[in-house]
Amino acid sequence: MTETTAADAPFAVSVRDVNMVFDGVHAVRDATFDLEKGRFLTILGPSGSGKTTLLRMIAGFGRPTSGEVFINGLAVGSVPPHKRSIGMVFQKLALFPHMTAAENVAFPLRMRRFDARTIPDRVQRYLDLVKLGKLGDRRIHELSGGQQQRVAIARALVFEPDLLLLDEPLAALDRKLREEMQLEFRRIQRELDVTTINVTHDQREALVVSDEIIVMDHGRIQQKARPEATYRQPKNAFVANFIGVTNFIDGVVASIDGERIVFDRPGFIGRSGNGFRPTSGVAARGALRAEQIRIGSGREALGDVDTVFGGTVTDAIFEGERVVYEVTVADLGDTTLRVFDHDPVAHNQHDIGSTVALGWNVKDVLVFGD
Amino acid sequence: MRPSRTSYPLSYPLSWRLMDALEAVAAAIWPRSFSAAVPWLMLLPAVVLVGLLVLGLWDMADGSFRTLDTATFLPSDDYSLANYDRAFSEKLFFTVASRSLIGSLIVTVVTLVFAFPYSYVMVRTRSAALRKFLLIALFLPFFIGQVVRAYGWLIILGSQGMVNEALGLVGVAPIRLLYNYPAVLFGLVQYMLPFAVLMLAPALTAIPEEMESAAGSLGANWVRTFIHVVLPLAKPGFIGAGLVVLTLSLTDFAIPAILGGGSQDFIANAIYDQFFRTSDQGMGATLALLLVAVGSIMVGVVFALFGAGTLAMGRSK
Repeated sequence: MTETTAADAPFAVSVRDVNMVFDGVHAVRDATFDLEKGRFLTILGPSGSGKTTLLRMIAGFGRPTSGEVFINGLAVGSVPPHKRSIGMVFQKLALFPHMTAAENVAFPLRMRRFDARTIPDRVQRYLDLVKLGKLGDRRIHELSGGQQQRVAIARALVFEPDLLLLDEPLAALDRKLREEMQLEFRRIQRELDVTTINVTHDQREALVVSDEIIVMDHGRIQQKARPEATYRQPKNAFVANFIGVTNFIDGVVASIDGERIVFDRPGFIGRSGNGFRPTSGVAARGALRAEQIRIGSGREALGDVDTVFGGTVTDAIFEGERVVYEVTVADLGDTTLRVFDHDPVAHNQHDIGSTVALGWNVKDVLVFGD
Repeated sequence: MRPSRTSYPLSYPLSWRLMDALEAVAAAIWPRSFSAAVPWLMLLPAVVLVGLLVLGLWDMADGSFRTLDTATFLPSDDYSLANYDRAFSEKLFFTVASRSLIGSLIVTVVTLVFAFPYSYVMVRTRSAALRKFLLIALFLPFFIGQVVRAYGWLIILGSQGMVNEALGLVGVAPIRLLYNYPAVLFGLVQYMLPFAVLMLAPALTAIPEEMESAAGSLGANWVRTFIHVVLPLAKPGFIGAGLVVLTLSLTDFAIPAILGGGSQDFIANAIYDQFFRTSDQGMGATLALLLVAVGSIMVGVVFALFGAGTLAMGRSK
């Protein structure tokens, strides 16, 4: 093994111009990114976006049609999975049912010819790490879903791989357990400082666990940024739409005033998203998050906002900690806007059919060309 | 608007309304309160068939204790263990029995070794065309009976058969390819292969491909993945297929008779000879019962050692 170069390599993973075409489908297009050591990256995208294909190429299951994957600075195109130092947690976990939890965790150590005398201690250490210290003798089917997840994590980490890959392992869990395991992934990743790539379609999970998020769509990387930046400065309308609940208000650009883009709908102004510089007369769309809109029965109830429109409530959905309103705004071409109201004090209720005032700030309307 | 209930029947096809009418008739003659008896009623044909078999076995057990009276060619009236004595002492029966037992064990092992890669490729291939080809190649021999197939081997392997003719063209003298032990085992393996593949395929389908990927990412090359993951998980399939092949080849008649040419008899051939050549029904019954006993013991040993495999229908016991 080339340990010396591995230690000097600047990035744990580098992907260069990777393309994957199978059965005539261009699953991954020109993927390029770098991942620093010890970081937690999430590849986020809808199903069919190519995120799993990209992950599997990094794992070594499937060779890129073109381009190259580097792990610790070494091109791994011709290295089979079992010779890569990668721990992977699979979508359906793929725990071995004919072995106990401890035997599952010991499996990679035996396959990688670790000193047999050290194996039991090491297995116990990793079972402790995932809080399964006493359950090593259990068969896989005797463990709960959450416990099975933990065995899979321990098995993927026990041989101290350079890289941990998570292929949507939480997708099948119920919401509460899923959120618990997300924090667990985060804790373990920080404790071991292992470089991790996680694949998911769950935007919440991506925001909660990651240092960085790659958003993919139609085989292309749309954006790579920190979670907050992905949320606050989406690079395009797809990213804005995929993460969070976003309203799109379509219109035509009337004039441009520095960063401010004025639409032909009176009073509707936004600011340029991702350096979008339209000329007047060009079609554009303003993206506005549901939680950035305030709702009240009149203008005076909205507080400090610089844009106000009147609308009619068409639906009100009580979700417990918040109420989601759908409000149709006539002055914006009958666009229906989704608005979150989680005012913890007033408990205002706006009935379906009632007239309300909506307010927001110009800086929160991001204008995109697509 | 929802259509009213009365306008529904017209939109349903005639077959549905016929089914409704049949169900109404069935409900009239077989009230719901009897429904607990339905599963037992459906089991009845199987129970009757097995029952008849047991009756036949009882009759044979009775016959096995009567020796053949060589003067009258009738079974004796008094009971004795003479037939069993002969079965265990005469060298001919020992030769036939050991030939069948060893033969069926060899056939089982060889068949499983050949069947595994075949079913593995059939289950795992991404090419639908290849999968179909393999399935058709598997089923085609089923349409050709065992006797016809054995006869086919005579044509191919006979002293004036295709193989020897081809050898003759390159100046090799004809080789005796038939009427020996290997020829019988060869014919049996060829006959058993589809059974084994069909029993193995579901067991392999039940192993998620992700398991093999996981073994790979954990550091196992394909050999170790096979030994530590695929083989243990495919065990139920191997047991099921092995039992079927073992019992079928242990009791086979046609292949040893045709490809062995009388010189390579298995137990079934010896039983046939007793019943229909020497007309010693007592001795035939004795051999038949011993065959049942040996087969049952072998199956029992496998069950005890490894469980029932796929024959356990997913239950552990």
